[in-house]
Amino acid sequence: MSILLDRTNRVLIQGATGQMGTFFIEDARAYGTRIVAGVSPGREGTTVGGDVPVFGSVRAARDETGADTAIVFVPPAAVLGATIEAIEAGCRLVVATADELPVADTIEIRAAARANGTAFVGPNSPGLISPGKAKLGFMPSFCYREGNVGVISRSGSLSYEGAKRLTMAGIGQSTAIGIGGDPVKGTTAAEALELFHQDPETSAVLYLGEIGGSEEVFVAEYASRTDAKPIAALIVGKMAPPGKKMGHAAALIGSKAEGHQAKVAMLREAGVHVANGLGEVVSATRAALASRPRAAAVA
Amino acid sequence: MMMLECDAKRLLASVGVNVPAGTIWRKGDSPPSLQVSEYPIAVKAQVRSGGRGKQGGVQQVTDAAALAATANRLFETGFGGEKPEVLLIEPWLAIEREAYLSVAVDGRAEGYVVMYAPRGGVDIEEGPPPARYPVGAPWNFRAHELRKILKDVEPDYQWREKVIALAQRLVRVASMHDCSTIEINPLAKLAGGALIAADAKVVRDEWAHFRNQEIHALREADKGRVGRMLRDCLDMGHMYVRLDGDIGLISGGAGMTMAAMDMIAEQGGRPACFLDVSPGPTSARGYRPALAMLDADPQVKVILVSVFGGGTQMQRVANSVKELMAGRKSRKPVVCRLDGTNVDQVPGIFAEFGAHNHARLEDAVSEAVRLAGNAA
Repeated sequence: MSILLDRTNRVLIQGATGQMGTFFIEDARAYGTRIVAGVSPGREGTTVGGDVPVFGSVRAARDETGADTAIVFVPPAAVLGATIEAIEAGCRLVVATADELPVADTIEIRAAARANGTAFVGPNSPGLISPGKAKLGFMPSFCYREGNVGVISRSGSLSYEGAKRLTMAGIGQSTAIGIGGDPVKGTTAAEALELFHQDPETSAVLYLGEIGGSEEVFVAEYASRTDAKPIAALIVGKMAPPGKKMGHAAALIGSKAEGHQAKVAMLREAGVHVANGLGEVVSATRAALASRPRAAAVA
Repeated sequence: MMMLECDAKRLLASVGVNVPAGTIWRKGDSPPSLQVSEYPIAVKAQVRSGGRGKQGGVQQVTDAAALAATANRLFETGFGGEKPEVLLIEPWLAIEREAYLSVAVDGRAEGYVVMYAPRGGVDIEEGPPPARYPVGAPWNFRAHELRKILKDVEPDYQWREKVIALAQRLVRVASMHDCSTIEINPLAKLAGGALIAADAKVVRDEWAHFRNQEIHALREADKGRVGRMLRDCLDMGHMYVRLDGDIGLISGGAGMTMAAMDMIAEQGGRPACFLDVSPGPTSARGYRPALAMLDADPQVKVILVSVFGGGTQMQRVANSVKELMAGRKSRKPVVCRLDGTNVDQVPGIFAEFGAHNHARLEDAVSEAVRLAGNAA
């Protein structure tokens, strides 16, 4: 199985007629994603990517095509409006990959998603992929194969690199989700872990984290649960100096607890298989897969 | 982006927060004329980093002669690597007590968090952690929730009510004015009970530049303070942090850039920078300033280009590298590792100009580390 995304999602694209939208349609369709509609206000009645009908609003696209999932490719200033439209039109999953989104907007989108029971993934994220089923994002398809490891990442390209290493080692993934590099997230590491926890076909999770922020605290909290699935992790930023923003708004060591050493120690303490660098991602994941869940060990 | 204290206080004053009546003294200007009765005054260096108070950046001055001497000294002193260009002159406050109040963006709170400590001042970090009220979205602020939290922390109910009213206003201000942090430390109580923001640290969210003229101006000013080559990079949207090694890293994506930095260190090398070019264009126009800056940097001995792209298509990056290498004068070695979408087209493009693309990051890093060692 997978989380949030599989073959049943009927996808609409907001900002479908732009460069990113058209590239996405071609690439994601080739992977098997069911793209049923585009939304570009003012362009309704036209088509994009050959035969995908374009609508003037999410509501109209939903009514006509049964779309239930939205991916948003609009400029940062328009993301707030587009995502809230998709959420309030009743989409079950909304993905916004955009970076450079003001955090005040993310806070508002997250609140709207919660109030409407919508899953929101992003911003500043590569999106998500359920290998062999569908993808919502630009991740290179060849890096992934179907399997039983859930992948959670704060960073896009690092998740491609991590997934490719797993795939080449013969370890497939149930879903790889990019939770994004911003301090406030549509889906947090804790929420993604809970989804993987509920997914019967995810046996272990690879978490790709960074210095800065408190996301890893929740990974450690989950790993400490008696019924937790085994977790492998890589935390990057060992060489990052404190007090400097390393690209991502949340990748800033503001206190000792947010540094590399403290995070690694905390995760190991909680029983997480922590890789020393990219080169150990595969062996850490293998170790996680080989370890039995604690509940089973107790029983 | 951190605002100067004087600008932060102007923002707070504009929403009715009580701040001291300050005067600005810019470097090179003649000193402000003050009446004898206005002394003693506080002279405060305006810099964009914390810990100024402990470094002597705030001075009490009692007459005009001392003001000139103090100002000359402060203008020539670096605080966190920055010499002040502006001094803020305020009346010396008769402070009865110092508290701490802040509003900040917080992932755990899914929005804003309010933090309060009854004892503020320069040693706030050594004291017990402040009380925390996770607000979340700004419209979820509830005075009675904060009151419940502060009840055990702050026994003076009159002061407490003032703090609650101020916190409510600051949450709104943070949201409306795109502030990721508003910290008032100390939040001072004057003789007579009035509350005043004796100091203020405000951090603005740079991504709100498209809707906020002040933030736009702050960004431009930040760019104006760096050298031309770095400014060209920032204009492309690249993100740069200088480090002290000799392997210049041009990379894509924050996480992958840090992973490459860490791998350089694992293999015994030292990264010269964090330089993430993924927000910029994939064309040669985007990569040119990054390569030019590292070529010109005497600290950099080897350049490692490491990009793993999804939406960024590798044949485009390869063509950009080809174009830039053709017109390049520097002889510093360039090591490449491109992977991701359309990577199968890269070897063909690289063969056209005799370059090699490493399939694995490990191999590219190991070559860069070896070359940096040889260049030493």
